[in-house]
Amino acid sequence: MQRSLAFGAYLLFSSLLLALLLYSGRQQADTVAEHYFPANRQLVKQLGLTDLSIWSEARYTRHPSQADLFTAFQDYPGAFDHFPAGSIIGPGCLQGSPSLSFQKRGQP
Amino acid sequence: MSARLKILEHALASMARRKQKNFAIIAVYTLTVATLASILFLTQALRNEAANVLLGAPDLVVQRLLAGHHDLIPKQYAEQIAKLPGVGKVTPRVWGYYYDSLKKVNFTLLGVNDASEPPLLAGHLPTSGRQCALGRGIADTYGVEIGDSLVLVDSKNRTLLYEITGLFSHQSSLLTNDLILLPEAELRRFFALPDSQASDLAVQVYNEQEVSTLAKKIKHQLPDTRPIGKMEILHTYDTVFNWRSGIMLTIFSSALIAFCILAWDKATGISAEEKREIGILKAIGWETSDVLLLKFWEGLAVSLSSFLLGTIIAYLHIFFFGAGVLGPVIQGWSVLFPKFDLTPAIDLYQIFALAGLTIIPYIACTVIPSWKNAVTDPDSVMRS
Amino acid sequence: MLLNPGILALLLGCSLAFAMLLYAAWLGLRILSRWDPQSSSEAQLQLERRTYLVSTLTNYAFSFEILSGLLFIFTLEDIHSLFIGAMCATGTLNANQIGWLVLLIKIVLFFTAAIWVHFNRLDQRTEDTPLVRPKYLGLLLLTPLVGLDLLLQYSYFTGLQPEIITSCCGSLFTLGSDSVASELAGLPVEPTMLTFFLAAGIFLILLVLCLSSKLALFRYLLFVASLGLFFVSLAAIVSFISLYIYQMPTHHCPFDMLQANYGFIGYPLYGGLFIGCLYGLLPGLAQLLPKTLSLHIEIEKTERRWLLRAFFAIVIFLLIVAGPILLGPFILLSY
Repeated sequence: MQRSLAFGAYLLFSSLLLALLLYSGRQQADTVAEHYFPANRQLVKQLGLTDLSIWSEARYTRHPSQADLFTAFQDYPGAFDHFPAGSIIGPGCLQGSPSLSFQKRGQP
Repeated sequence: MSARLKILEHALASMARRKQKNFAIIAVYTLTVATLASILFLTQALRNEAANVLLGAPDLVVQRLLAGHHDLIPKQYAEQIAKLPGVGKVTPRVWGYYYDSLKKVNFTLLGVNDASEPPLLAGHLPTSGRQCALGRGIADTYGVEIGDSLVLVDSKNRTLLYEITGLFSHQSSLLTNDLILLPEAELRRFFALPDSQASDLAVQVYNEQEVSTLAKKIKHQLPDTRPIGKMEILHTYDTVFNWRSGIMLTIFSSALIAFCILAWDKATGISAEEKREIGILKAIGWETSDVLLLKFWEGLAVSLSSFLLGTIIAYLHIFFFGAGVLGPVIQGWSVLFPKFDLTPAIDLYQIFALAGLTIIPYIACTVIPSWKNAVTDPDSVMRS
Repeated sequence: MLLNPGILALLLGCSLAFAMLLYAAWLGLRILSRWDPQSSSEAQLQLERRTYLVSTLTNYAFSFEILSGLLFIFTLEDIHSLFIGAMCATGTLNANQIGWLVLLIKIVLFFTAAIWVHFNRLDQRTEDTPLVRPKYLGLLLLTPLVGLDLLLQYSYFTGLQPEIITSCCGSLFTLGSDSVASELAGLPVEPTMLTFFLAAGIFLILLVLCLSSKLALFRYLLFVASLGLFFVSLAAIVSFISLYIYQMPTHHCPFDMLQANYGFIGYPLYGGLFIGCLYGLLPGLAQLLPKTLSLHIEIEKTERRWLLRAFFAIVIFLLIVAGPILLGPFILLSY
């Protein structure tokens, strides 16, 4: 019976651990729903935001819900890439285009 | 009942005798479950986040379409829309993009009008001409703080300095990560936008259920516009993450098939020693159904322990270690990717679906091999 | 096509189950054509060995089919947010009409597959396995049903378009339209309640009679009573049980109770009903089996367990139903 007991104990332990994780996740989600979501919702409301800032590489990924329906290159979310290489290479480096830089406080 | 327990005991003992083989299967199985579960948990958390946070989005956004793409909208459209019954405030929004060719990031520049303090912002919103507020992602990437200055080159190729007066906190980075806020008047000057036009209009609708009717009316009165309802915004994110997880699951199915082949192979190619063991069991009076039960217990033990372990690993990976391994898959080319601080949104349904996606294939590919082993003749095994 | 984990799991699982059943049915066909329990030839021995494979394959496949009903409902609940206008599983089902057919087949499969699994277990406990022929005939009949389930499920999920505006349960289960659903919702509360509790009472009385006597008649009556109770209960859930659970006089939806805001009360409710009716059906059906001695002994041994399971499941179901009626603040009938 020893092995069955050990196995049962392992199963019990890991299911309890999983249950504990799920439960703590619920608790965490509740506190988030109480504090963090309302604050963010307020922020969205005040600034009038429409999209999540997850993918900033192109306008149809930065603002999927606001993207153009159709453009010359069909750059709307879900469109097939115009060139197959698009899935392999990154966006190109545009010559002479502006870049973002900062100036530390107190420096010229 | 106790007979079944004894068979379980025997199954565990015989598994312990073949540690290496079973360890290999459990390790691969666990990894498979963990990967699948990570995908599910991550996308579900993102879906949940989007659904909850974007509830604050404008009821209706009205864009103008020109030659098939988004164009500036005249401000008199706003007056026309405001006259429709049921419409509250119509706010013209001014925003645009700014590309950094070094970091290859597209920043979003947003004009703000009212200076009342938004939540989750350290410092204050830009008020006078040469001030700005930044998202946390930008501040972290470039290592800047409040008081430093942002250098931008405007549409007339002039270099302009903006003092940073506010930084958004980490908690809002899923929304504000790449955001640069400037006073609206300053942003118009920066992009050289005429005062009579805006990027789009945010329309407040008093009654939520009238949004679609109003959208139709606006479309009818101003045929060159495209109204986007709040529900559509929320749907976009639901489908985006469903699609993402589906695509990843589909790609991942090849790994699942590989795992199935491994399980099939391990179940078919049992050692001579194992065969002899079954032969002896049958010779001392075990029925075929007992041996099948033995195999069932073995499969159950492997499945359950791997499934539980894999799910726990996935949970820790996503919610304690910030989706370190899987993040890049969601990330794509995004350079300024927000740091994940996701809240779990797991329910029994996902655990169920996960079990369906992993345990069933395993069972399906071990059932025939284990039957083959179970019906072996005792004498044929012992004679060989 | 929606690439949703639940949908993928359902389609994957059902395809695997169907493949296993196809193989099992093919083996079963071969066994059926050459089965001769009297013979002790090498061929018969091979066939007997194959019966183990058939029953293992079928057991796994049917167990999944039984669970898949639950996963199907789970999935419907989860994806309802993708459809404009859908607020629970009803909306998802309405998004593509085949959904209702899938649900129906899943219910039929739940009962038939569970019956098959139970009789198979009975058969395997005996020495002479007298049920081989009826069992495999049943398997041959059920395999196309599982195939149909897979096919319909596939066309249901591929036909789902998120842009479709569906109707929610509020508009389907309302009084005054000409559908079956609204007919059910429109059933007068008082007679329905009476019929429901009468059916449950008859069921329980017959159960007790079956427990105390060995008369076959009671078992047949119990079979009829469980069938009756099942349909009466489904009608009662739409007609008045839902009202008490939601505490709203106009909310007739049979699916909303599966959601978190009602404490998932629908799962034990439906679980109790389905399991109770299943075990109520089994003793009556067992009477129809061939009367060999070995089988008779096995049936005697297990029947008591079936009856007790039926009893407890239905009692749980009734408690969940009666709880809000007796204790809740919501009053539908004035005294």
